[in-house]
Amino acid sequence: MTTANNPPAVELRGVTKTYGSGERTVTALDDLDLIFPAGTFTAVMGPSGSGKSTLLHCAAGLDRATGGEVIIDGTPVAGLSERVLTRLRRERVGFVFQAFNLVAALTAAQNVALPLRLAGRKPAAGEVTAMLGEVGLAKRADHRPSELSGGQQQRVAIARALVTRPAVLFADEPTGALDAASGREVLRLLRASVDRHGQTVVMVTHDPFAAAHADRVLFLADGRVVDFLTGPCGAQEIALRTARLEEGRPAEVLS
Amino acid sequence: MRLAWAMVRHRFAAFAGTFVAVALGVAVVAGATTIYLSSRPEAPERYNSAPVLVRSPSVGDNAFGEPEYQSWTAGEAIRLSGELAKLPGVTAAAVDPVFYAQRVIAGRPAGDPQDALLAGHAWSSAALGGYRLAAGTAPRGPGEVVVAGVAPGSRMPVLTAAGPATWTVTGTVDGPGFYVADREALRMSAGVRVIGLTVDGDAEAVAGAARGVVGPAGEVVSGGARDSLEPVSVTRTRWLGAQLLIAMVVLGGFVAVFVVASTCALGAAQRRREIGLLRAVGATPGQVRRLMYAETLVISTMAALAGLPLGALTAPLLTGPLVDTGLEPAGFTVTMQPAALAGSFVLGVVVALAGVAVAARRASRAPALDALREAAVERRAMTPLRWIAGAATAALGTLLLVTMPMMATTDQSSAGLGAAMLLLTAAAALAPIVIVPLVRLVTWPWRGAATGMLVREGTLIAVRRVASTAAPVLLTVGFTVLLTGTVATIDDVQGQHDADNIPATVVLAPDGVPGLAETAVQAQAGTSHLPTRLLVTRGATTAGYDAEGAPPSELGPGPAGSSGGVVLDKTRAKDLHASVGTTLDVRWADGSTAALPVRAIRAAAGAGILVPRELARQHDPAALTSAVLLNGPPVASVGARPMSARDYVQIEIDEEGELIDLFLLVLIGLTVGYTGLAVANTLLMATSARRPEFRTLRLAGATEAQILRVTSAEALLAVAVGTLLGAGVAVASLSGVRAAVEAELDRAVALVVPWGTAAAVIATCTVVALAATTLPVLRRSRSAT
Ligand SMILES: Nc1ncnc2c1ncn2[C@@H]1O[C@H](COP(=O)(O)OP(=O)(O)O)[C@@H](O)[C@H]1O
Ligand SMILES: [Mg+2]
Repeated sequence: MTTANNPPAVELRGVTKTYGSGERTVTALDDLDLIFPAGTFTAVMGPSGSGKSTLLHCAAGLDRATGGEVIIDGTPVAGLSERVLTRLRRERVGFVFQAFNLVAALTAAQNVALPLRLAGRKPAAGEVTAMLGEVGLAKRADHRPSELSGGQQQRVAIARALVTRPAVLFADEPTGALDAASGREVLRLLRASVDRHGQTVVMVTHDPFAAAHADRVLFLADGRVVDFLTGPCGAQEIALRTARLEEGRPAEVLS
Repeated sequence: MRLAWAMVRHRFAAFAGTFVAVALGVAVVAGATTIYLSSRPEAPERYNSAPVLVRSPSVGDNAFGEPEYQSWTAGEAIRLSGELAKLPGVTAAAVDPVFYAQRVIAGRPAGDPQDALLAGHAWSSAALGGYRLAAGTAPRGPGEVVVAGVAPGSRMPVLTAAGPATWTVTGTVDGPGFYVADREALRMSAGVRVIGLTVDGDAEAVAGAARGVVGPAGEVVSGGARDSLEPVSVTRTRWLGAQLLIAMVVLGGFVAVFVVASTCALGAAQRRREIGLLRAVGATPGQVRRLMYAETLVISTMAALAGLPLGALTAPLLTGPLVDTGLEPAGFTVTMQPAALAGSFVLGVVVALAGVAVAARRASRAPALDALREAAVERRAMTPLRWIAGAATAALGTLLLVTMPMMATTDQSSAGLGAAMLLLTAAAALAPIVIVPLVRLVTWPWRGAATGMLVREGTLIAVRRVASTAAPVLLTVGFTVLLTGTVATIDDVQGQHDADNIPATVVLAPDGVPGLAETAVQAQAGTSHLPTRLLVTRGATTAGYDAEGAPPSELGPGPAGSSGGVVLDKTRAKDLHASVGTTLDVRWADGSTAALPVRAIRAAAGAGILVPRELARQHDPAALTSAVLLNGPPVASVGARPMSARDYVQIEIDEEGELIDLFLLVLIGLTVGYTGLAVANTLLMATSARRPEFRTLRLAGATEAQILRVTSAEALLAVAVGTLLGAGVAVASLSGVRAAVEAELDRAVALVVPWGTAAAVIATCTVVALAATTLPVLRRSRSAT
């Protein structure tokens, strides 16, 4: 159903990201080359501190790479001004964080409409409701985040991320703060958006069961891709690889 | 805008600081400007029934910017009023001479001395106020008077410029003042400056006709222009009041910007996550900035609407105190001033927007990534903007301090105020630089204890939170110490300076009267000057000068054959391009003219011009002597008492000092009240936002008491940082003031540090800070159980 031959939604070429300077320099991403083909669901795994979040931030244009090139939906982001980059993000990229995804002052519907309003567009009649309907929260449109459960909040966040029909949706441990049932619901939604609308999804997760929803799994360690699984892969296989990564030296696994 | 409204509604608590600051600022400004605008010049009540008034001509403005009037002589005034009385529509034209008269009750002068200067009138001028004879008859001859509240036939002891007298009350009148026969009034006053007309029919028509008659010999005023006849003393009182009100508006505005800026900065720092989220979902920096402006617009509009009625309703309550302290004339009333309210409203909103500007700029530049950061680790506490602002305000403030001794004494207090504002802004902007080392130093003794560690690490990570809470403390302490210290130091120097010039003798000084009467002066063995005012014409220009009548012995030998000449000091001689032998064309206070030769030019000559005392007395019958330097035992006189020269000078210094103290009290009260609120507010905000942190601490096994100890210690730390910085700024600039004064006087000057005031202010800040941090913690723990 998905192939690596699709045009890339996001492409990373030799992307490096370092933090700090001098002795305290941390290389979070080390010369990464990656392609996220359109219409695919990629899971990114790896031990804590391996650079997963940094990868997502750079690929989403939330942060700028120290070196290399990031191309979002055909547009290189390197030279863009903050304003132009913000617009690109608003139109072409959706983002779901682990928590604190919603503006507390706004209702679910207002939160979903936020990207459209920020773009100066009045949401078409029913557009927001339809989006909330897709995540199964049509009845909660007028609730504020404090009146929603964690899982419901994440679903609203997904609706908000998808409302602009972005080229790619990034999710950083979207189920990390949820109970198992809510987590499954969120994953089902992400999978459905790929299957039904050809959405591109990139998701960071710790959880092999979550990663099992993806079309392919990247394993990151010390800012490099150290392993790779494609095709529908079982949670068991993923867990095995993860375990191996955490004990052994990743390089040999890859080779 | 809708988003802004939602934000404000949702988290009103976070905006409460801005709300309170703006509401109070608007209230202060609205109240002060309402009073200021209510305090307009007004024609004296005595002219209520005279719609047209004729005033003697002005020769131009004096050094205070007030018009300098020349008097009509009694003859000129009577002639003019005779012609005016003949005009159609004029029912009466009354000459209005004014002289000093004060009642003496049980041997003591009664009533307000300054009011007494203008209390004596001619009987015919009573008609100008619509005052009528209620009983008895009008005064006809010398020693007869009509007053209010004394039965006809009574004998009434009074003081006049000539000396004590006992008048016979011939009738009672329903208005204030002493009314004597016209001829007597003209004799006791120095010329005439006003002729009032009572009219039937159209006042404007009469005014027009009067202008034709008067020509260049006077100025005819009617309608609103009559208000320019306000007595100079009243104008000066209002001017003093205006100075305080202006200072209040400036200070209120400044403190409001300061408080709004620091609460906005804190608020923005606390909302980093939310702002980051907005940025992440596609808000451009411009949109974030506009959102923050919009929020502030909403909040400040509501706050201004709350502050306006507060200010407008408080203003009338201040009437009494203002009149009592001599900052507004008696009879002052506050009226509704729509312009003041509108202006304050706009000011409140603009000030709030100015206050949020820096925070909005900073927030809009925050990377979208901030939404994701877990810990609230701050980025650099010092930004280039902070550096620039800090350096610029520090430089300006220092410049102002350095140039201060070169300014006139009257400007020094406002210069001090300006310098204080600039330097304190600088200290607040640069505060983060010193907070880190300061915190390390202060917490060093407790580094082993858990509390010490938590406080130390907590504040070191959140440098800007500490800076925000320390800012209002800094402002309060620094402002108080600097301002009171500056004034006290200058005061101290001035007092010494003046006292140095006084010979150690005994003087006869006024006691309950505006000045010494002639008989009291003549009875003494001693020297004195009789102050009067001269108009001197040189070429085409005429100007007024203070002059003093001096005894012949002091004037020295005059030019042969001349009846009298003047002695000038060097400055006045230069002003007048005069040298010994030059003849000056002068006009006396009573309107008569004379040509006086300059008989000598000296380094010092009283107020600048000395004239023969006899002439001064003759041409200024209402003049009063300020003091007599005694060289024999004092002779008891009504309204006079002997005292040491030092005490005499001290009384004047004290009077001025009282006024300055009042100014300081009001301004410091305003600042302390304001910043006390700001301290409470920033700490409430900061403590409430740390809820999760406290929860973590509790879960880690911290008891309530331990958490309280941490928060209290942090609050105390913020107060300590603010106090140290504020005091540092204050003492540094106080030393600057002292150095400048020393250079000027070429001698050592004592630095007066107002310890008492400082201690009181610091204690207030501490109590407020502790309460503001303890309450939210206690309340939360109660609701949590
Ligand atoms: N803002 C930052 N400043 C300095 N170092 C950072 C920052 N963000 C991440 N890092 C470092 O970069 C590396 C990768 O971090 P991250 O991408 O968050 O890892 P992951 O999400 O896989 O746990 C880590 O070593 C982390 O300490
Ligand atoms: Mg991460």
